Amino acid sequence: MTTNVNIRLAIDRVNMGLLAQNQTRAPRLYTPGEVVTGQFGFMKGHGTYVEGEDIKASVAGVMEQVNKLISIKPLKSRYVGEIGDVVVARITEVQQRRWKVDTNSRLDSVLLLSSVNLPGGELRRRGVEDEQMMRKYLQEGDLISAEVQNIFDEGTLSLYTRSLKYGKLSQGVLVKVFPSLVKRRKTHFHNLTCGASIILGNNGFIWISPTVNNEADGGDGGYAQNLNEVIPRADREVIARLRNCILALAHCKMMLYDTSILYAYEESMKYEVHELLQQEAIFDVAFLTQHRLRLQEE
Amino acid sequence: MQTIREFTRKTKRGNILKIVREHYLRDDLGCGAQICENCVQDETSVALLPERNVKSTLFTFPHYLVLDTNVVLNQIDVLEEDAISNVIVLSTVLSEVKHNSSAVYKRFREVVQHKPRGFYVFVNEHHKDTYVEREPGESANDRNDRAIRKATLWYDQHLEEAQNSRAMKKSGRPRTRVVMITDDVGNRERAEKDGILVASAEEYVKSLTDFPMLIDKYARKSFESDKKSLPIFPTHLSVNEIHDGIKAKKLLQGSFQASRENYLEGAVSVEGYEHPVLIQGREALNRAVDGDIVAIELLPQEEWTAPSEIVLEEGADEDPGDNVERTEKEQSVFQKSLTKSDEVRPTGKVVGIIRRKWRQYCGILQPSLLENASRHLFVPADRKIPRIRIETRQAEQLQNKRIIVAIDSWPRNSRYPHGHFVRSLGPLGDMNTENEVILLEHDVPHSKFSEEVLSFLPKMPWVITDEDYAKRVDLRDLYICSVDPPGCTDIDDALHCRELPNGRLEVGVHIADVSHFIRPGNALDKEAAARGTTVYLVGKRIDMVPELLSSNLCSLVGGVERFAFSCVWELDNEANILAKRFHKSVIKSKAAMTYEQAQIIIDDATQQTEIAKSLRHLNRLAKILKKRRMDNGALVLASPEIRFQVDSETHEPLEVEAKQVRETNSMVEEFMLLANCTVAEHICAEFPECAMLRRHPRPAPSNFEPLIKAASHQGFEIKTDTGLELASSLDACVKPDNVYFNTMIRILTTRCMMQAVYFISGTLQPEEFFHYGLATPIYTHFTSPIRRYSDIIVHRLLAASIGSDSTYADLLDKKLNEELCHNLNYRHKMAQYAGRASVALNTHLFFRGKTQDEEGYVLFVRKNALQVLIPKFGLEGTVYLNSLSGDKKPTPGDVIFTFNEEDYTQRCGNVVFHAFDPVTVRLSLDSRNVQHEKLVFQLVKPYIKGFSVELTAEQSGDVEMVDATTANAADGVPPQKKSKKSQKKKK
Amino acid sequence: MSNFELLSEQGLRLDGRRPHELRCIKCKLGVFEQPDGSAYLEQGNTKVLAAVYGPHQAQSNKLDLNEVVINCQYSMATFSTAERKNRPRGDRKSQEITLYLRQALRAAIKTELYPRSQIDVYVEVLQADGANYAVALNAATLALVDAGICLKEYVVACTASLSKNNIPLTDVSHVEEMSGGPTLTVASLPTSNKIAFMEMSQRFHLDNLPAVMEQALNGCREIQAIMEKEVRKHLMQMGSAGDWSNIAK
Repeated sequence: MTTNVNIRLAIDRVNMGLLAQNQTRAPRLYTPGEVVTGQFGFMKGHGTYVEGEDIKASVAGVMEQVNKLISIKPLKSRYVGEIGDVVVARITEVQQRRWKVDTNSRLDSVLLLSSVNLPGGELRRRGVEDEQMMRKYLQEGDLISAEVQNIFDEGTLSLYTRSLKYGKLSQGVLVKVFPSLVKRRKTHFHNLTCGASIILGNNGFIWISPTVNNEADGGDGGYAQNLNEVIPRADREVIARLRNCILALAHCKMMLYDTSILYAYEESMKYEVHELLQQEAIFDVAFLTQHRLRLQEE
Repeated sequence: MQTIREFTRKTKRGNILKIVREHYLRDDLGCGAQICENCVQDETSVALLPERNVKSTLFTFPHYLVLDTNVVLNQIDVLEEDAISNVIVLSTVLSEVKHNSSAVYKRFREVVQHKPRGFYVFVNEHHKDTYVEREPGESANDRNDRAIRKATLWYDQHLEEAQNSRAMKKSGRPRTRVVMITDDVGNRERAEKDGILVASAEEYVKSLTDFPMLIDKYARKSFESDKKSLPIFPTHLSVNEIHDGIKAKKLLQGSFQASRENYLEGAVSVEGYEHPVLIQGREALNRAVDGDIVAIELLPQEEWTAPSEIVLEEGADEDPGDNVERTEKEQSVFQKSLTKSDEVRPTGKVVGIIRRKWRQYCGILQPSLLENASRHLFVPADRKIPRIRIETRQAEQLQNKRIIVAIDSWPRNSRYPHGHFVRSLGPLGDMNTENEVILLEHDVPHSKFSEEVLSFLPKMPWVITDEDYAKRVDLRDLYICSVDPPGCTDIDDALHCRELPNGRLEVGVHIADVSHFIRPGNALDKEAAARGTTVYLVGKRIDMVPELLSSNLCSLVGGVERFAFSCVWELDNEANILAKRFHKSVIKSKAAMTYEQAQIIIDDATQQTEIAKSLRHLNRLAKILKKRRMDNGALVLASPEIRFQVDSETHEPLEVEAKQVRETNSMVEEFMLLANCTVAEHICAEFPECAMLRRHPRPAPSNFEPLIKAASHQGFEIKTDTGLELASSLDACVKPDNVYFNTMIRILTTRCMMQAVYFISGTLQPEEFFHYGLATPIYTHFTSPIRRYSDIIVHRLLAASIGSDSTYADLLDKKLNEELCHNLNYRHKMAQYAGRASVALNTHLFFRGKTQDEEGYVLFVRKNALQVLIPKFGLEGTVYLNSLSGDKKPTPGDVIFTFNEEDYTQRCGNVVFHAFDPVTVRLSLDSRNVQHEKLVFQLVKPYIKGFSVELTAEQSGDVEMVDATTANAADGVPPQKKSKKSQKKKK
Repeated sequence: MSNFELLSEQGLRLDGRRPHELRCIKCKLGVFEQPDGSAYLEQGNTKVLAAVYGPHQAQSNKLDLNEVVINCQYSMATFSTAERKNRPRGDRKSQEITLYLRQALRAAIKTELYPRSQIDVYVEVLQADGANYAVALNAATLALVDAGICLKEYVVACTASLSKNNIPLTDVSHVEEMSGGPTLTVASLPTSNKIAFMEMSQRFHLDNLPAVMEQALNGCREIQAIMEKEVRKHLMQMGSAGDWSNIAK
C-alpha cells in the first residue's frame, strides 16, 4: 500500500495570513506586562494583575470590561469553564463515587456519581451497588457529553449528565480544537442538514456522529453504546468531510459554530475528502467560508 | 542593515564537521574618501584626502591604491616610507597578511594606524557590494584575489559616482581613480580585463619620481643575473613533505642556531636530543639563517662529526660570486673535524624551512670593487647572519655607515640571500650610531614617546591638591633622605629611621609613587609595559617612562614634596620586625645624598643631626639584617663591574675604573631587600592567584661542575647542596697570597647561576617561589617603579590590597599577567645584554689607539688558551696559546704549551699557569675589522721567550671581549643601579 | 583558549556585526496544533522550537497545593551542532540548562494562579550557534504567551561578552563563545528591570560587569521589542480570521 505523504518546506507553506486581511474591527491588543489602566477605580479581573499603581495584562489578548472589572482575555488558552457550558469530555479515572474527567481545562474535572442518571431509576439514592457498578456505566476512555454544573474553589469543574441530551457517546469522531474557537451559542447540539450530528463542546472537543434521533434514543440514560451497528459509508464520508472542514477552519483560526461549519462543508464539496488535508484546499475552504460569513453579516 | 550569508565548511578531524557561520553584510561602511559625500562616515576615520595624493609618472591623475596581499608582505619596507599614502587597505588583505606573517602584520598595522599616512581600512568582506562568495572549485587564494579585484572595481565606480556632482565637474579637477598594485601576473591580467588600473609594485615605486631612493627598499625576489646561474643548494621540501616527514619521524624539527665562529656550521636544537644536532657545510646548511625553524634529516651515524673548533670567517673581501667550489680553507675544516672521533655528535642536514625568522639586520655595506655598481654585499654585525646581497644606488652615501637591511629571499642559485636596504643609522664609529645599533640588536624600544603617550602625563605646573593630602599620610616632617649613586636623576627610593617613644625603631622605605601617575590601560601605561625597563647604556639612558616622570615628578629629589608609597616597619634593636604597614604618603626628602656623602656623615662622629642619627641607625640595622641573611644562606656573588667617565661632549670614555662598594650601598640594598620581601609576602597573601613575584631557581648541580673543579685544583672544596653550604664554602675560599682569589671564585659562582625571573603566583607551586640567591622563600620587585614595570604592577597590587586604589580587569588576569611577565623577563634580559654590549663598546673606544699593560688573573685554563680577568676594568679576555694538536707539526722556534688535563694547567718550559695565577697582560685594540673591533690580550708577565709581547700579533691570537664580563645572574649582587654607575655626566 | 580578537580595529565583530548589534531574529508563534502553545525562534543560526502543554492537572507525586509545577525539558537535536552526535536526553549540559530554564520561567509565570497544576515546557534546539540558553528561553516565553498562560511579563534572555579592549559585545555567537571570551547570560524581566537568572562562563574583572550587564540587558530589551511585535502580529492574525467574533459582545 502506498501512502501519499506530502511534506513541504516551511517556505512553501500557504500564507494563512491572507485571511486576516481586510480587517476593520481590530481591537486594541494587550501583551503580558503591558499597563492596561491605572488601578484607581477599577478592579482586576482574569488575565491581569496589579503592580504598583497599575493594572497590567498578564496574557496576550483583548480587554473585556464589565463595569469596573477589567480583564484580559487571551485568544487562546486552556478551557476555562463556566457554569452551563456544554462540554465533551473523556473519562480518565474511576474513583470513589465519582469519575475523573478530562475536559481540557487546567485541572481534571469530576463527574460525581450523584450527577449522573442511572439506568432504571430517575432519582434514587446511590447505594453501594451503584458504586461497585460505576465502571459498568462509564470506564476509562469513554467519551461523554456533559454540562458544567459547578466550579469548585481551585477551579475544578464539576459536571453533570442528568439530562437526556448528555451521556455516553457512542459511534462518531472526536475533533479537538482550541476552546476559544468554539463560539458560544444557545445550543451546541446540532443535527446538521448534511446528515450528521455534531456536539460543539465549549472546551474545544467536538463530537461528530451519525444523525441521532434523540426521541428514539431517550430513556436509557445514555449508557447504551451500540458498537455493532454499521454506519453506512455515505454517512462516514459525511463525517470525515465534516471533520476535515472543522480542522480546516480551526487551522485558519476561524470560529466554529453551526453556520460556519455548514458553509465550510458546502464549500468543500468541490474537493475530495482527503484533498481537504492539503493546505491549498484548507485555505480555499476557509477563505470562501469567511467570505460567505462576512456577506451574511452585512 | 544586516543580511546573512552562510557558508558550509567541511573540516576533517576524524569526523566531518559541518560549519555554518553567519556573515553579515553591511551598508553602513564608509569608503573613507573625503571626496565622497554619499557615504555616511565619521569624520575622524576619513583617511583618503586629496592633499595626500601621491605624484606618480605612471598615473598622472590623483589616485588611491589598493594593495594585494603579497605586495604588503614583500614590500613592507617600502610601505613604511612616507612616500606612499592614500592607500585603501582591504580587510581581505589585512587578514591574509596576519595569517601569513605576524611580524609583517604588526609593522603594517603600525603604518595603518599612523593617521597622517592616509591608510584606510575598508572592510570589504562585510560590505554588501564587495563581498565575494567562494565559488565551487575556486581556491581560497583565487577567491581572495577576486575579492580584491571586486573591491577595487567597486571603489573606482563608487568614487566615480561621488565625483559626478556638478561641483566636482565644474572644478575641472581630474577624476580620482583607484589603482591596484599587484605582482601576480594572473591577477593582473584579470584585473585589466575588468578595466581596473593595475601596476606592479616595482613599476609603481619607480614611477614615484619624488622619491628616487625608494626603489632601494623594494624587495626583489631575484636579481636578473641570477636566473642564469646554476643552483648551488638542494631544493627545500614542500610544506606537506616536511609535515609528513616529521610525522613519520624521518625528519626532525628545531630552531637553527648558526655558529658564531664558523659560518659553515650551525646546530639545530631538537626536542628530545641532549645535544643540538650539528649541521656542517654549505649544502647541509641549505640556506638556513640563524633563528629559523627548520626541518632536518639526520645523516647516517658513520657520517657524524664533531663540531670544529676552528674559527672560520667569510674572509673574502670581494664578492666571490656564486661559485660552487669550496675554498681550500673550507675543505680543510671538514677534513679536520672528521678526524676527531671522540666528540662526535649527531649530525644532519637541513632539508626544509618550516618558518623563517628573518628580521632586519644591522651592518655595513661591503665596499664594492666596481664603481657605480648597484649590487652590493651587506655584512651584518651579527656574525651568525650570512652576508646579504642588496641592490642600491646610494652605495656611496652608505659607505662607512651603519645600515639596516632586510632579507627578501634566498634562491637556490644564489650564494647569498637577497635583501634590500631599509635605512641608514649613521656613520660608523659614531657614538649615537653605535648605541642605536646596540639598541636595535637587543630589540630595545627606544623611539621617542608618542604624542598620545605624552598626553597622559600630568599637566604642568603640577601641584599637590588638598584632596591628595587628604588621601595620603603626611610624612613631610620625617627626616627622610635618599642615598644614590652620583648623578642619579631618577631617585625612586628614600629612607628614614626614628626612635619611637616605646624604645622601638621605626624604619620607612619610601618608594616613588609612579602608579599614581601611570593609570592602567592608557597609552602611557601600555608604552611602559612594552618597554618593561629602563635601559642603561654608558652615557645614555633609555627611559621606560617619559622624563617628566622619571626625573621630575616621580623622582624623590631633596627638599621637594613628592608622592611616595611607603613601607614602614617597627623594629626592635635587634632588627626584628614587630609591626609593618603600607600606605601612600606625601614626603619631603631632607637630603638626596650619594653613597659617598652618606658614608662620610655616618663616619663623622661629630655630626649629630637627625639625618646622621637616622643614617647610623639604618646602617647598624642593615648590618644585622645582612648578617641574618647570610646565615640563612644568601649568596654574596661578585661580578666585575666597571664604570666609565664619559666625555660630556663626545660621549667618549675618558677613564675606566671598577666601581667601588661602600657600606652605604649595602645599607640601602638591605632595606630594599627587606621592603621587597615584605611586600612580596603581603601581595602574595592578598592575591594568591595573580601576584607578580620574582624567583630565582636553584641551579642544576651540573652547573656547578666547573666551579667545583676549579676550586678543587686549588685545594678547596665547594659544597653546593644547599645555598647555605655554598655560601659558607665560598667564604672559606681564601688564599692569603692571592687577595683576589675569593672574588674570582665568586665570579665563577655567579656564572653557574640561573636567571632570576618574574612570574605570577598562581602559575607555580609555592615551593617554587624560592629565591635562591637571596635565600628567601618569596621575593618581588617593589622598590624601583621608575625604571621597572614589574614594580608598577606590584605597586598597583599593593595599593589595591590596602584599599587606596582600585583593581582593574587586567591586573587580576592571570593569563595576561603571565604574558606581561614573559615580556618583562625578555626586556630585562635584553637590557642587561645591551648594557654589557655598551660597556664592551666603550671599552673598545677607550682602548682605541692605546696600549696598556695591566695586571690580571687567570680565570680559566683552557686547552689552547688562558682566560684572563683584569679586575681593574672588569675585563675578561683570552690569551691564545700554541699547543700541540691536530696535524700541526711543531716547527722550531714555536713556543709550545702543554695542557695538563689532570689539574688544568698549561706548561711551557718551566712556566706553569694555574687557574687564579696573577699575570700581566698588554691590552690593545685590533681595529682591522671595522664591525668587530677586538681587544687583544698579550702576555707580558710571566715572560716566556718567543711568546710574550714582542711576538707578532698573529700568533698571539686575538681576543674578543666576552659578553659575560658583567655576568650577573642573580639579584644577590646589588640588585639595582648597577649600570647607573656608568652614568656619570660631566656638566 | 586562543587569544582571538573578538572585535576588529574597524569595530566589527567576526561575523560583521557591531558590538551592540543582535543577530537577526525571526520568530513565529503557534507553530504546532497539538500543544497549548508553541513557538519557533531563530537568532542568527541558533534555531529553537518550543512547545508548552498546560496548565493541566499535575501528576499526583509532583502536585503542589500552592502553585504551579513547571516541568521543563531542554534537548538538542543530533544534527544541531557541527558534529553529528547522539545526545541522550538529560545529558549533564542539557540538565543544567533545563534547570536554569525553569528558574527563569518561574520568575515570569504567575505561578500562584495555578495551584495543583503543571505546565510542561519542551524546548528543542534544532541548530546550535551560540547563546543556546538565551534563545531557548526566549522561545519558551513566546510559547507560554501563545498558550495564554499568565505571565508577569516577558522573560527575555540575552548574552554579552567582552572584547580584549573591554568593549562589551551583545548576543554572543558560537564562534565568539569558542574564541575564549567570557560569556555573560542574563535573563531579565525587561519592563520591571528585574533579573531572573544570570550565568557567567569564565571570569572578567568586576569593573567590567556593569557595562557588560547593561549591554546584555539592552539586548534583552531589543529582543523583547522584536518578540512583542511578533506576538501582536500573531494575535492580529488569529483574531482577524474569525472576525473577532469570539470576543465580540
